[in-house]
Amino acid sequence: MKKFRIVVNGTAYEVEVEEMGQGPVAVAPAPAPAPAPAPAPVKQEAPPAATPQPVAEKTSPEPAAKAAPVSAGGIKVEAPMPGTILDVRVKPGDAVAAGDVLVILEAMKMENEIVAPQDGTVKEIVTTKGASVNTGDLLVVLE
Amino acid sequence: MSGAFLEELFRRKEKISAGGGEKRIERQHKAGKMTARERIAKLLDPDSFVELDAFVRHRCTDFGMDEVEAPGEGVVTGYGTINGRTVYVFAQDFTVMGGSLGEMHARKICKIMDLALKTGVPLIGINDSGGARIQEGVDALSGYGQIFYRNTIASGVIPQISVIMGPCAGGAVYSPALTDFVFMVEGTSYMFITGPEVIKAVTGEEVTPEELGGAMTHNATSGVAHFKARNEEECLEAIRRLLSFLPDNNLQDPPLVETGDDPGRMDESLREIVPPEPNRAYDVRDIITRIVDRGDFMEVQPYYAQNIVIGFARLNGRTIGIVANQPKILAGCLDINASDKAARFIRFCDAFNIPLVNLVDVPGFLPGTAQEYGGIIRHGAKMLYAYSEATVPKLTVILRKSYGGAYLAMCSRDLGADQVFAWPNAEIAVMGPEGAANIIFRKEIKESADPQKTRDERIAEYRERFANPYVAASRGYVDDVIDPAETRVRLIAALEMLVSKRETRPAKKHGNIPV
Repeated sequence: MKKFRIVVNGTAYEVEVEEMGQGPVAVAPAPAPAPAPAPAPVKQEAPPAATPQPVAEKTSPEPAAKAAPVSAGGIKVEAPMPGTILDVRVKPGDAVAAGDVLVILEAMKMENEIVAPQDGTVKEIVTTKGASVNTGDLLVVLE
Repeated sequence: MSGAFLEELFRRKEKISAGGGEKRIERQHKAGKMTARERIAKLLDPDSFVELDAFVRHRCTDFGMDEVEAPGEGVVTGYGTINGRTVYVFAQDFTVMGGSLGEMHARKICKIMDLALKTGVPLIGINDSGGARIQEGVDALSGYGQIFYRNTIASGVIPQISVIMGPCAGGAVYSPALTDFVFMVEGTSYMFITGPEVIKAVTGEEVTPEELGGAMTHNATSGVAHFKARNEEECLEAIRRLLSFLPDNNLQDPPLVETGDDPGRMDESLREIVPPEPNRAYDVRDIITRIVDRGDFMEVQPYYAQNIVIGFARLNGRTIGIVANQPKILAGCLDINASDKAARFIRFCDAFNIPLVNLVDVPGFLPGTAQEYGGIIRHGAKMLYAYSEATVPKLTVILRKSYGGAYLAMCSRDLGADQVFAWPNAEIAVMGPEGAANIIFRKEIKESADPQKTRDERIAEYRERFANPYVAASRGYVDDVIDPAETRVRLIAALEMLVSKRETRPAKKHGNIPV
């Protein structure tokens, strides 16, 4: 475990870095006075690993909600009401225009077209055909 | 008269007309904003504006205010005409002390509010103000209070329109909120009770003014505003259009307009818009524009609670208020926001003698904990209340589904609809065939050797027997089942028949709508 002091925009952060040996490296910000904005970029000591496996437990977040971390950023399209996904009309990578149908949600005995709120590309499909969803559940992420 | 007197007059007026001076006017223009006087000139018929109280000055002497000159007291007030009809207007002048509101500024506004109320003509307020003039302390606060009070007294007597063309923050927001319609302009209008800095200090949330209280936020998210324009000219034009639908006051009928659209015009394409499958959606606005005169429909709050569509149009030249379920959004369910949106619109129409035309295709109230916890019971009740209370002609057309409490809420016969029509494919029942058959034949389905088959049979049977408009028509809940193509013709006939409608309610101070 190595300790570093990193200054970001004039604010000092204490950062502990542990080298794990075979590659995956955990970067756990110490309970510094100010919340360190994400793992601060540590220079040579921590080679950027492809899949940083958070082994240091305390800070590793519970896999909160479905797919929340992956979808950070991008335009989230959520279920406007509870129902069943009847059809998914797009796949990741598809370019969509505002108003294009992404998903058909059956609710209140109606086939409701869930459309793209704006132009973009389908980044991720969080739901599947046949899934039961509740109000506010994430369906599709655009970018 | 000696020329000196006139010279003095012209000199003074010129100074007042110059507002906050060239530099500040330039800054206003650079921000994509017109000045108060330019806005009034654009809004009213050319050369119709008559200014009042131009010479009014503030009386504050604290904090060096005795040295401060504020031409026109930061607000331009007066009257003029729009399409030849008188209106009162005030426009806050951001170039004079940031349009800040003090005692005399407020008094100018109150004077024209009183005149508008006495003469029974619409009032338009253009807001562009940094807020209360702090130097004037409690006198400034009192000014706001005086305006709020008058907004309330005038509510339901004259149409009141608020236009946000700059900041409108803190207590100032409540004057627009008390008026009938709020217009906002993209990029330059902001409304909030507490601004981004206060929010950041108190809760740590970081939010831009545009996100917090911009035109789209209040048009789509909060429902505070009713109309959004891309720029000030478009906004002022929309106000002129809106006023063309409205009467001057609650004792007048809306203006009759020669639209040139044949009252006997049939439209066979109306037979094709509603899909034959009961589970497919369509855009109810396609029906509205085919029915009304020249397809001219001015939608109100088009971005908010889109599962219900409201707005103004004309039938045979008479203004109507339309309330229509939108199957394309949230299956057309009624929910909290849709109920609030519709109820307020219904009450506006009733206050100003605008008949209501209700187009119904509603599967029910939106289910879910969020709705129940949010108080859909008391919000939904507003629709029942508003429709029952309304004494204007009420016409209802059931386009397809009309189930349960939502059937009643959408101006059913029992809430006082004067005429109810149904299209031949209408389904009027307590609930959809699936749900109903499941309950009525529960035992039989459960005990059947082939429950699925029995269930399907029973659903089909129920649909056959009850999911049609003829049961309701046989009881007289529906006056007639009509060919969709003749909807316009039948609505116009009913509207003309109801022109002389008079309905009175028991005398009371006021009802107690579940707000």
